[in-house]
Formats: sequence, structure tokens, C-alpha cells
Amino acid sequence: MIGRPISRTKAVLLSVLSVILLLVGYTWVSHEQHKINPDDTTIPSWGQLAEGVKKFTQPDRKGERWLVEDSLATGERLAIGLALGLVLGFFIGMLMGCLAPVEAFLQPPISLLAKVPQTAALAVYFVFFGTGMEMYVAMISFGIIPALAVTVYLAIKDIPAEMLDKAYTLGASAFEVAIEVVLKQVLPKFIDAVRLSIGPAIVFLIAAEMVVGDVGFGYRIRLQFKLTNMNVVYPYLVLLAGFGFLLDYGLRVLQAKVCPWYQNGAK
Amino acid sequence: MTDAEQNGFGLQCQEVSHWFGETKVLYDLNLKVDAGQFVSLIGPSGCGKSTLLRAILGTHPPNEGQILTLQNGRLAKADHPGRDRGIVYQKYSLYPFLTALDNVALGLKLDQTTTMFRWFNWTGWARKRKEFRDRAAVFLEKVGLGQAMHLYPSQMSGGMQQRVAIAQALIMEPEIILLDEPFGALDEATREELQEMLLQLYEENLASKSNGAKPPYTLIIVTHELNEAIRVGDRLIGLSQYWDWKAAGHKTGPGATIVYDKPAPVFRPDERPDYESFDDIRKEIRKYVYNPEVMQPRDEHVCLKLTK
Repeated sequence: MIGRPISRTKAVLLSVLSVILLLVGYTWVSHEQHKINPDDTTIPSWGQLAEGVKKFTQPDRKGERWLVEDSLATGERLAIGLALGLVLGFFIGMLMGCLAPVEAFLQPPISLLAKVPQTAALAVYFVFFGTGMEMYVAMISFGIIPALAVTVYLAIKDIPAEMLDKAYTLGASAFEVAIEVVLKQVLPKFIDAVRLSIGPAIVFLIAAEMVVGDVGFGYRIRLQFKLTNMNVVYPYLVLLAGFGFLLDYGLRVLQAKVCPWYQNGAK
Repeated sequence: MTDAEQNGFGLQCQEVSHWFGETKVLYDLNLKVDAGQFVSLIGPSGCGKSTLLRAILGTHPPNEGQILTLQNGRLAKADHPGRDRGIVYQKYSLYPFLTALDNVALGLKLDQTTTMFRWFNWTGWARKRKEFRDRAAVFLEKVGLGQAMHLYPSQMSGGMQQRVAIAQALIMEPEIILLDEPFGALDEATREELQEMLLQLYEENLASKSNGAKPPYTLIIVTHELNEAIRVGDRLIGLSQYWDWKAAGHKTGPGATIVYDKPAPVFRPDERPDYESFDDIRKEIRKYVYNPEVMQPRDEHVCLKLTK
């Protein structure tokens, strides 16, 4: 029984069932809460939630739609921060894995940075980068660089020396060994690491937006929470989860497309 | 540097000694291998067979002495790995992200094109890639994998992977191919098939020699299996730490050296050897190479005339 696979149909049915149970559970809890207090907004009914959705999708008094402006602001910060973090994390990891002097030089600071909780270091980012775009980008990228660099570094250390030696016997230069053997072998593990980094990156960004933002998902959630408008907060959380899920799914598709060999046996 | 054309050697080890800290592994090892020879290297566990192979490969050059291999037609010091020496490992070491075809074509790609060419001359690279793949396909057919060209290593059996690894080495046409216990992880039937494959290469050597041409394959195979060593090699070399080093003036064992070097019977690929007929050779090897009780002078069973 343990470890025995189930059919695809059963797997889909069980997945659908879990979502239905979640929705039914929420409906029941909300219903019970409204029996105690009919004006309750902490666990809004489906009707209240629809009103909340209307609120952030329709233009407000200034003619702006919250969802659009929050998505643009948060999306831009996340995209730039992630892009910078991914490029630097990969590059640093490759250098650490391929070149022993870089490994010796960078391993202590990278190991230390990896242990610093980014949300606790918010004040440090404010001091160094202010409260504008630079701060969000720095927080996200510095937050994910250590984990990504260490993943790439360890993946390179995992490559058997024989494979590298053999590449030289096939006429490769050191640069070609790095590009043609190391990079290609490390790529799927890097994509796995990126998938795991998305969650923390969103956490860092939302936390920063909650503290200093004047637009964005974190700012809106904090503001609406203060007003106990949970009918806006919950849909925003669902949107965040959906966004994270889509990004993760996209990365899995990318991994299957770019690294078709990375199946069970080849990992 | 010696002109290889004059002596016909594919490999020369000159007074090679190697040690790791206090552990002495190889001692004053001298060896000459003719181009076209198939040498079976045997010896007890821990005697330094793989160390010698790595030294020849150039990844671990010896602490003392030097190893010369044919490089661009001349014997030159093998102090780093290069395309003149091919290697086949026990664990195949194929690139998991490449299909069998691309694994075999990889050497041509790395050897005959540059990164800049591949990045910036797309049409030229596409043409070259097709050419390399066509050649790789020929080599895969040669090792009997015509039907498995598009499989990834994880989709192939151990025997298939080892065939790909051999094709990967062969396509580079190296001066010498090193095989480090290549069939150690394979079942008996697959081992025999692959031994026959190596004997086919040896037949190509014989055909080239009879035409007065340089034999295309020089091979050193490290194996624990004596029958395999006798069947595949035309020369048996025993490396052992069990020799009379006290008589040679050493207070402690200085390491392993060549204690056995004799010709082996030559077989055709389709010839089923009578393994019982190997009995005398096996007994001799067990006695002089593997037995720690028998401490003979190091050159008593070394037939140097074989190496010219």
C-alpha cells in the first residue's frame, strides 16, 4: 500500500474532493458565524465576498481599479526582484561550484546570508535602499540569492568527476565543460530551486508592502484588514495563491520542455 | 620527445611512482605499449590499477617519472586529459541530458567546433550538427544500438549504456582507449557480447596491420575477471605489490609494480574460447600476481621483448 501509485482518474477525483471539502467547510463556518452575528465581516458569506470582489474590480472614487494598480505594482516589484535574484543566484552558484577560489571566498558570506530571516532584516533594507522600488528588489533578490546559489553549487558538486574528466577527453575546454556539461546538468535542479523560491519571494515582498507600501497586494491586505473588510482580504489571498500556483505550474512545464531527460530515473 | 613514427609506441611509462601521503601505490613502473595492442591490466584490489589508468589519462599525473602518449603523431607528456586518450568507466558516465546519439556526437561537437561558432553561426552549426549526428549514428550501429539512438541513458540498460560509452570513445579515434573495469556491473551474457565487440575492433587492427597501415585501436582494459583479461587482451600485464622488495633493498613495501607481462592467446570475435584451456595461465597469474606468499623478483615473469 505504501508508495503504491493510484490511477489518474482517482488522483483527479481526490483533488477535486479536497477543494470541494474546503469550500463546504468554509461555507459552514461562515454560516455558523453569521448565526451568532448577522453583520459579521470576519468570515464573510459568499454574498459578502461577491461584494468585496466588486469593490476591487470596479473603479473607485478616483476612477482606479485596485486590482489593476495593485497587480501592476506588486507584479513589477516581484518580476524585477526575481529576475535579478535568479540571474545572480545562478551565476554565483556556478562560479562557486566551478572555481575553488570563488568557493572559498563566497561560501562564508553566502552561508551566513542564507540564515538571516529577510522579514526581520526589513529595517536594514530601509536604511540602505530607502522605501522605493530599490528596496523591494533588493529584499527579494537578496532573499533568494543564497538559497539558489547554494542549490546550484551543491548540484555541481554532485556531478561525478568522471563526467568532467571525460569531457576533456572529448576535446572540451574548461569553459565548454562549464557550459556544455555542468550548466545543462544543473539546470533542472535550478528550476526546482526557483519553484521553491517563489513562495519566500512573495512573502518578503508582501511583508515589505505591508510596512511601507502605498500600493500593492501587501498594502491593500493590511489596509482592508484594518477596516475588517475580510471580503477583500480573502479574495486577494486566493489571487496570490493562484498566481503562485500558475508560476509554479509554468516552471514545471518549462522544466519538462527544456529538460525532458529529468525524469525519475535520471534525477 | 620521441618521434612516434620511429618506434610505433602508443604509450610509454617511464619510472612511474605514485603515492598518497604515506600510502605508496605505484613504484618504478616501466611500460611500453605498441600502437594496436590490446593490453589487459590485472592485479589484486588496491594495487593501483585505476591509479595507473588515471595517471595515463592525465587527471592524476604521477608523483615521479613520466607518462608519454601519442599526441598529434608524437609522444608527449600526458599531464592533463586530452582528446588523444579515450576513457570508458565502469559506471558508464554518460551525460544524462543527452540521447545516445547526442552522447556519441558530443565529442565531435566539442572537438571540431567552438562555442562562438555554435552560438553565432547558426546555419553552419546546424549543418555540422547533422554531419556529427550522422557519424554518431554509424558508430551506434557499429556497437549494435541502431534502434536505441534516441533513448536517454536513464531509459537504457547497463549493457546499452556501456555500448554508448564505448562508441563515445571510439568516435574520437583516440590514440589509446582506457577501460576501467568496463563490464564489472554487467551480467554474464552482456559481458560476453561486449567482449566480442572488443574482439571485432581487434580484428580491424589485424586487418590494418596486414595492409601495412597503422592499427586504429590501442586499448588498455582493467579487469578483475581473469577469463575476460585472457580472452580480450593480446598481452597480459599483472600489477602487484607482492614482489621481493626486501631483496631489492627496501625496508617497507615501496608499492606495486609490473610483475607479470606475457602474451595472451588471440581469439576471433565469433570464437567461443574453451575457458578450461586458460587454466595454466590463470594458475600462473594467481601465483605470481595475486598471492602475497609468493615474493618473486619483479622481472622474473616480465617478457620485455614484447614491448620491442
